[in-house]
Amino acid sequence: MVNWKKYGKIFDPTQLKVFSYCNEFAQSPQVLKIDNGFRIYYSTREIDETGKFLSHIAFVDFNKDFSKIIGKSEKPVIPLGGLGTFDEHGIFPINPLKVESEVYAYTCGWSRRKSVSVETSTGLAISKDGGKTFLKTGQGPIFSSSLNEPFLVGDSFVKKFNNKFHMWYIYGVRWLENSQEEPARVYKIAHATSDDGMVWDRNGETCIPDKIGENECQALPSVEYHNDQYHMVFCYRHAMGFRKDPSKGYRLGYALSDDGIHWERNDDFGGIDIPNGEWDRDMRCYPHLFSHEGELILLYNGNEFGKYGFGLAKLEN
Amino acid sequence: MANWNKIGRIFNPSDYVEIQWLDQFAQAPATLVFDDFVRVYFSCRPKPIDGQFVSDTAWVDFDRKDLTKVLNIAKKPILPRGDKGTFDEFGVYPTSIVRNEDKVVAYYGGWTRCEAVPFNVAIGRATSSDNGESFTKEGPGPIISYSPEEPFVMSGPKIRKFGSTWYLFYIAGKKWISTSRIAEPVYQIRMAYSDDGITWKKENKDLIPPRIEEDECQASPDVFFKDGVYHMFFCYRKSLNFRGKEGGYRIGYAFSTDLINWTRDDSKSGIDVSESGWDSEMVAYPHVFELDGEIYMMYLGNDVGREGFGLAKLSGKL
Repeated sequence: MVNWKKYGKIFDPTQLKVFSYCNEFAQSPQVLKIDNGFRIYYSTREIDETGKFLSHIAFVDFNKDFSKIIGKSEKPVIPLGGLGTFDEHGIFPINPLKVESEVYAYTCGWSRRKSVSVETSTGLAISKDGGKTFLKTGQGPIFSSSLNEPFLVGDSFVKKFNNKFHMWYIYGVRWLENSQEEPARVYKIAHATSDDGMVWDRNGETCIPDKIGENECQALPSVEYHNDQYHMVFCYRHAMGFRKDPSKGYRLGYALSDDGIHWERNDDFGGIDIPNGEWDRDMRCYPHLFSHEGELILLYNGNEFGKYGFGLAKLEN
Repeated sequence: MANWNKIGRIFNPSDYVEIQWLDQFAQAPATLVFDDFVRVYFSCRPKPIDGQFVSDTAWVDFDRKDLTKVLNIAKKPILPRGDKGTFDEFGVYPTSIVRNEDKVVAYYGGWTRCEAVPFNVAIGRATSSDNGESFTKEGPGPIISYSPEEPFVMSGPKIRKFGSTWYLFYIAGKKWISTSRIAEPVYQIRMAYSDDGITWKKENKDLIPPRIEEDECQASPDVFFKDGVYHMFFCYRKSLNFRGKEGGYRIGYAFSTDLINWTRDDSKSGIDVSESGWDSEMVAYPHVFELDGEIYMMYLGNDVGREGFGLAKLSGKL
């Protein structure tokens, strides 16, 4: 019997402010292993002069059993882009990947639009100092809209399996116009491969079948190989009403695969979506999966899209 | 030495008051030659709403024997603008056309509106099975989008086939300049190539060095092959204060034997603004084509084609 054992919230951004101008949000925690523990990158938010959010990348370093914070970033790890660029209004999330002596960061850049709220694309930045600072590979994205993935490309998660880079990401399929709310985006999980982590081949198909209808929004795919299977955790929600109505908000989804290509959706796997407590009772989202010393470990956000931090879980057999 | 003898303006959108989608502007002419007529694609705009323009692309047919004589005009634009949130939601401009077997293929700039800057552009593709009268988009997204070295404003496509290779000349944004009024983009000429017209490899190189200032804006990279040499006519302007005669568009010239390395020599463009009239402040968006033993240029005048496009005929050699 497999069981996801929840250890509760391990980080609260309102308790430890990494930057003076970011008071809340620690979204989409993602791990880089460091010598004495784990560096966890996340997105935190500043409010700009127009009252809108700007997401910045920060990190906190944990010791090996996640009981103690042993370090933190002093300034945003990657600066936002210049006027008119794809990551001008935020970077959220970031996915770190060790590639030989460097650390690649796949970023999701946000820029605001007029008729819809936002457009996103995936950028790449590279660190030569173990993930403390990064240099962008250019002003523009490495992975963006294309013929049949017309907008909202982002949430890239990259891992190397069998000498090939694999990316799971999301792209937008439609913007729903409705009278109650601003246009609402619908996005799905897809897969691409690469030999160098920079130039990508899309396979043009979505990975995960919908469970709550064609307007299900799927986000933040995270994949790990564990006990002879590929495991994917992601989050999904309704296209509308998801901010206020807990029954429409993000839930954790799960899928298993033998080859990393064909996935069997099994959202009940190990009780992954059972709430841990008050902090994740209304929403569970932005999961990140990694293995360490034979254990499969999950980081994820709770209520209000991670406004008050992230928690930890481990798979027990 | 090239010298373009101006024949005059051949199309003025104000002559078509009954057409709703054609209020002002006839921009970026591109030709497709038929047995009896020459079809010229151009981009136009209906009346603005709240001061905001949208663009569409349509065509007008001229008599092959008399390029000043209009025979026919499109009933409607060749493509609908894109759905909510797509790259071409607010405009299809400019458009370049090429024949491919029994089809006609269009590459176009698709416009969206942004918050911090006024717009962004990416390049789309569409195909016609009815001799270029109407087109179907290849997909809801762009065929050429942004990349690390070409971060925004991918526009002005000019499609060419030389041998079995497709070449796309276009512009890519380099930066946005903040001004007290509105942000202005700086863009320069780039190129990509392809075996099938679908999958493109960017050359990632500025083809034409700026001349009048570092932030010179370049557009309409129109490449024409003649006598073993590739000739590029393009237009350029200042990055700011370009809406009048002084900083406005002029036509430049460069040549190459390999399509990658170009020598710029604007003194050989052979065309400039007129003393008076519709093209007295600007000449812009050149398109060069050969027809029945003669070489012609179509181009825009003042206000970048607000009042239509004109024709000139080459005397001398390129």
